[in-house]
Amino acid sequence: MIARVLAVAAAALALAGPAAACAHPKTSLAYLEGQIMCPTCHTTLDQSEAPAAQQIKAQIAKRIGQCWTAQQIESELVGNFGQGILAAPPHKGFDLLAWWLPIGGVVLGALALAAGVWRWSRTREPDQPEPESVTDPETERKLDELLARLD
Amino acid sequence: MTRTLKLTGQVLALAAVGGLLGLLVWRLTHQSHPPKIGGPAPNFSLRRIDGAGKLDLASLRGKPVVLNFWASWCVPCKGEAKLLEQAWRQYKGSGVVFVGVDYHDVKSDARTFLTHHGITYPIVQDGSGMIGDRYGLTGVPETYFIDRRGRLVGTHIVGTITNQVAAFHDGIRAALHQ
Repeated sequence: MIARVLAVAAAALALAGPAAACAHPKTSLAYLEGQIMCPTCHTTLDQSEAPAAQQIKAQIAKRIGQCWTAQQIESELVGNFGQGILAAPPHKGFDLLAWWLPIGGVVLGALALAAGVWRWSRTREPDQPEPESVTDPETERKLDELLARLD
Repeated sequence: MTRTLKLTGQVLALAAVGGLLGLLVWRLTHQSHPPKIGGPAPNFSLRRIDGAGKLDLASLRGKPVVLNFWASWCVPCKGEAKLLEQAWRQYKGSGVVFVGVDYHDVKSDARTFLTHHGITYPIVQDGSGMIGDRYGLTGVPETYFIDRRGRLVGTHIVGTITNQVAAFHDGIRAALHQ
């Protein structure tokens, strides 16, 4: 009797593995395919059908089925393949520079442009004054007379 | 004040250009070139996946080495696995050491591969592919021969050894006798 119970328990344990497939996955293959690089073809997994990419996709699918989070899966892949497996650098430590440097560059560029425009507008030549009349009073008087005659 | 600002801006711009030029020069001077036959085999110290610890290529100095780059996702690698194991058993009595370098691979799959094909020689993991790059690998499988002095000898085999068996044995002999 005890042997039977043990056999049933063993069978239940053996079946528990596949049956325990994640009921509430923490991430998706579609998401991670865009975050992970194919190491041999240097594109993201979603753009690659290379054997190495297929293998990594299978590994990710397996981990998703085991309820791993995206971060856990990425950490495992980094441990296996190195940081180069990530499509984008992590948002921490020295890698933050990769995110902030371009933004800093754009801001600095905009500031430099604004400063340049401001400086240019301040140092521009003042508007030319209205030219003084080039005609002498006598000519002006004659012109006025002519105009009066025409009226 | 304006003059100081202008000068600072110019210095910053020059520094940025200088930095970028420096990066370019550094990149150009640090590009890896594939090793030449007769030259030293690039050294490595990589984690073993068939056991614990690391394997340092330099520690094998004094022994001829057959260095095979492979991956579990590589179909031709499956084809040559049996032949490599046979050759390892054949030559290990002569002091030849076979080392497999698992390139860009998932460790668990690599272990399954080793068990499935009954591989018994040391295997190290090159997950990032850095060592493969140093050797100028163009794909897997590729096999190199290293003599007792740590120099690359023979003709390195690109592709599977199954259809280059003679070249494979010539390479081992070259490693043994030089």
